[in-house]
Amino acid sequence: MASIQFNAVTKRWGDFFGVRELDLAVADQEFLVLLGPSGCGKTTTMRMVAGLEEPSSGEIFIGDDLVNDMPPRERDIAMVFQNYGLYPHMSVRDNIGYPLKVRGIPREDAQKRIDAAAAKVELGPFLERKPAQLSGGQRQRVALARSLVRTPRVFLMDEPLSNLDAKLRVTMRAELKHLHHELRITTIYVTHDQMEAMTLATRVGVMNKGVMQQLAPPEEVYNDPANMFVAGFIGSPSMNLVHGDLVDGTFRAEGVAVPGIGGGSRTGVVLGIRPEDLRVVGPGQGVFDAPVYSSELTGESTLVTFNVGGRHVCARGDRHFRCEIGEVVGVAVDPQRAYLFDAATENRIRL
Amino acid sequence: MRQRALAFGLLAPALAIVAFTTVYPMLSSFWTSFHILNLSRSIELGRFIGIENYTEAFNEDPEFWQVMRVTAAFVVLDVTFTILAALGLAILLLRQGFGTSILRTLLILPFAMSPALIGISWRFMLNPDFGAFNRTIAAVLPFMRNTDYLASPTMAMGALISADVWHWAPYFTFMLMGGLASIPPETQEAARIDGASDWRVFRDVTLPQLAPVLLVAIILKSVFALKVFDSIVTMTGGGPGRSTTTLAFFAYHIGFRDYQFGYAAAVAYVLTAILFLFSLSYMRFAFRRTA
Amino acid sequence: MNAVATSLSRPVVTPEAARRRQRAQRRRAVLKVLEVGVLLFVAALIVFPIAWMVMTAFKTPITVYSYTIWFQPTLDNFREVFNPRWGIAQKVVNSTIIACSTVVIAIPIAVSAAYAFSRLQFPLKRVTFQWILLTQFIPAVTIVLPFYVMFRKLGLLDTYAALIIVDLAIVLPYAIWTIKGFIDAIPLEAEEAAIIDGASRLRVIWDIVVPMARPGILTAAIFCFILTWNEFLFGYLLSRQKAVPLPVGIIGFLLERGPVWELIAATGIIITIPMFFFALIIQRHFTKGMNLGAVR
Repeated sequence: MASIQFNAVTKRWGDFFGVRELDLAVADQEFLVLLGPSGCGKTTTMRMVAGLEEPSSGEIFIGDDLVNDMPPRERDIAMVFQNYGLYPHMSVRDNIGYPLKVRGIPREDAQKRIDAAAAKVELGPFLERKPAQLSGGQRQRVALARSLVRTPRVFLMDEPLSNLDAKLRVTMRAELKHLHHELRITTIYVTHDQMEAMTLATRVGVMNKGVMQQLAPPEEVYNDPANMFVAGFIGSPSMNLVHGDLVDGTFRAEGVAVPGIGGGSRTGVVLGIRPEDLRVVGPGQGVFDAPVYSSELTGESTLVTFNVGGRHVCARGDRHFRCEIGEVVGVAVDPQRAYLFDAATENRIRL
Repeated sequence: MRQRALAFGLLAPALAIVAFTTVYPMLSSFWTSFHILNLSRSIELGRFIGIENYTEAFNEDPEFWQVMRVTAAFVVLDVTFTILAALGLAILLLRQGFGTSILRTLLILPFAMSPALIGISWRFMLNPDFGAFNRTIAAVLPFMRNTDYLASPTMAMGALISADVWHWAPYFTFMLMGGLASIPPETQEAARIDGASDWRVFRDVTLPQLAPVLLVAIILKSVFALKVFDSIVTMTGGGPGRSTTTLAFFAYHIGFRDYQFGYAAAVAYVLTAILFLFSLSYMRFAFRRTA
Repeated sequence: MNAVATSLSRPVVTPEAARRRQRAQRRRAVLKVLEVGVLLFVAALIVFPIAWMVMTAFKTPITVYSYTIWFQPTLDNFREVFNPRWGIAQKVVNSTIIACSTVVIAIPIAVSAAYAFSRLQFPLKRVTFQWILLTQFIPAVTIVLPFYVMFRKLGLLDTYAALIIVDLAIVLPYAIWTIKGFIDAIPLEAEEAAIIDGASRLRVIWDIVVPMARPGILTAAIFCFILTWNEFLFGYLLSRQKAVPLPVGIIGFLLERGPVWELIAATGIIITIPMFFFALIIQRHFTKGMNLGAVR
């Protein structure tokens, strides 16, 4: 078990920066989720820990070891790949046992550990099968067992659940969480699914364009986003972001005026409000009125989209709420739950 | 850095063999082509004569230009018939069915047969007195009875081409089938919905998308046609006269019948140069898709 | 809210539609017959020369010249072919040794080179690969002239070594090309997983890449075997007696008094049968992946 540390790590291919000047400290036993859109650098970051990519500059430590020039096999890490990376010509037993085989662990001992790892992920009855004879979920478990079999210092998981169907994903998520609780091995987990990030992480690192945007516990990333990117990326449907100006503590944009924001006057700001923090009320009873653009019943709630000065603004309403398209309704805003950003720098303006 | 060392280690044996078996003889032939080397007198390289071997071929040897014409005719006809046959077969065989799957298997057979053996079989079956082809053709066209195909320059060329088409058409059928199969069927379906007839779908949608593969096939077949040798030896011997003597066979003949290795090397180099042009265009078109 | 009208009046088949339907059915039937006809014709074109060779091989010297498929088959020709006078047994051995040695030397070398081209980064990679492929297009005559002189000086004419060396020139670029195509198609993840699991690069090649590329390696090996087995030009020009390969051996049946067709046919079968067998093994590669090898 070990901590991981990045000191000013950059990875570039020619003019393209995969990761830019990254400083990151992952504590021992932490479950860090790297979250971001595709191409944001999260996978590159993880592959540099694995040793599958060499950083262009900067230093990476695992525990007290500088691992920059250390080949993967000496790093004592395990990795679960997106497509599992199983060896199709080997049986499940040989797949799980491969890390032991290349390390020359005696057969007897190896068999015991393979059986133990397989039991942990409930693969016992399938040990003699080939990967092609397994379902997606079972293959996932083989990959997991292969990484468990030699108790590494660090676990790396590259979108391990993305190839599973929705239902299985939820089950496996719970199993991963339990497994981490049981083994307490430092884990870096890469995903673009914010639900996985929120549920699994000790801390979430949100990345974009090779830069770490915010590194914080899940609730903080959701409740206290550091900038507009994080605010827009976390949450579904995503946060409403309306460009406008702040005039004496009142946010003004075309068709909208939201008082009580505070912070004096300022031009070029963006007001962010999550759909779940807007309420649909009768006309004239809210902060502003707007015609309904569409209304979608999701089952657990009703998503109502309004047309506000040519922009679409979304609100999450009660699941019993019904309205006609074109009907004018009022929208109530809780100014305490509104976020303000600088339109130019996209940074949070704290009031 | 480590990766480079590993790459070099893995490549070294292959590079060594390729260098020794192709690069060295290429350079050696090139050098020889500027010399006199008459094997009936000496195995050592004779006098350096500059480009005289080449000027002899282009300016003095009347046979050379005849051979060039024969080669051009052979390549053009051979490529045309092979590719047309392959295209037709590919379209036919792309449909699933019992008959087509058997035919697909049968197609492997001509390709697995030695061209030398094909040449000699053709010679046997074209025999004017008892050949099986002869009799079969005569059964349909009685006036063709006892025609000696291999004694007529035109028909000998036809016979040679038919043997080569028989051998190569299967290979190119498979290649074009691969090309046809990789065309997204939606494009053809869309054209049909839009009102195109089967022929229009083929001409306007299928053929343009097949064009890159087709082009590669044509270049590749041209290269193979220029290299044909075995069946000429076993079927026509380059005759009657020089009527089926292509460049490859001509170079062999000068070298191993007349023992004029210097001149043979020059003729071989003319062929190498032509093939080199084809190969470069092949590389351009074959690699364009992955580049 | 916006209800869809669901009341349907029962449709009527107009006479015109019925006629159209009939026409289409007739057209389909005609096309089907036409298709079967073409298939049969092509099958006949393919089979006829092979069948004729097979029949000739079982005919007596007298019936060889008759245009009949009704004859008393005999194995005499196969017995005669192995008469020491013709030396076909020796040529079978020669061809087997030459083809096997060529494949055994070429394939491991090709696998390691193909892996380097597929997975590793090094300077001039693209150019090197293209030049290796280009050598496939060099005419055999150009190669054979200097090698003839060299082998004669070294006393290597009419030896296995000479033929194996020149056969490598034909086979190696092709093998590298084919195997690279197969390695390219192997997902990188399995290899990375093995690296993480602690395997060295060479071990990854041996434990992961070779087993996963096995169908491709087998295909390349068989294809190379067919190429060398059927090779004629080098054998024709670089061997005299001891190392003469099978296809060149046929020339021996072209006697002064005329070719001995029934023995040529029998030898032809000996040459061809194993190749048919091999070709059928790799048929799947042909029908499926031809495009891959040729266009990549």
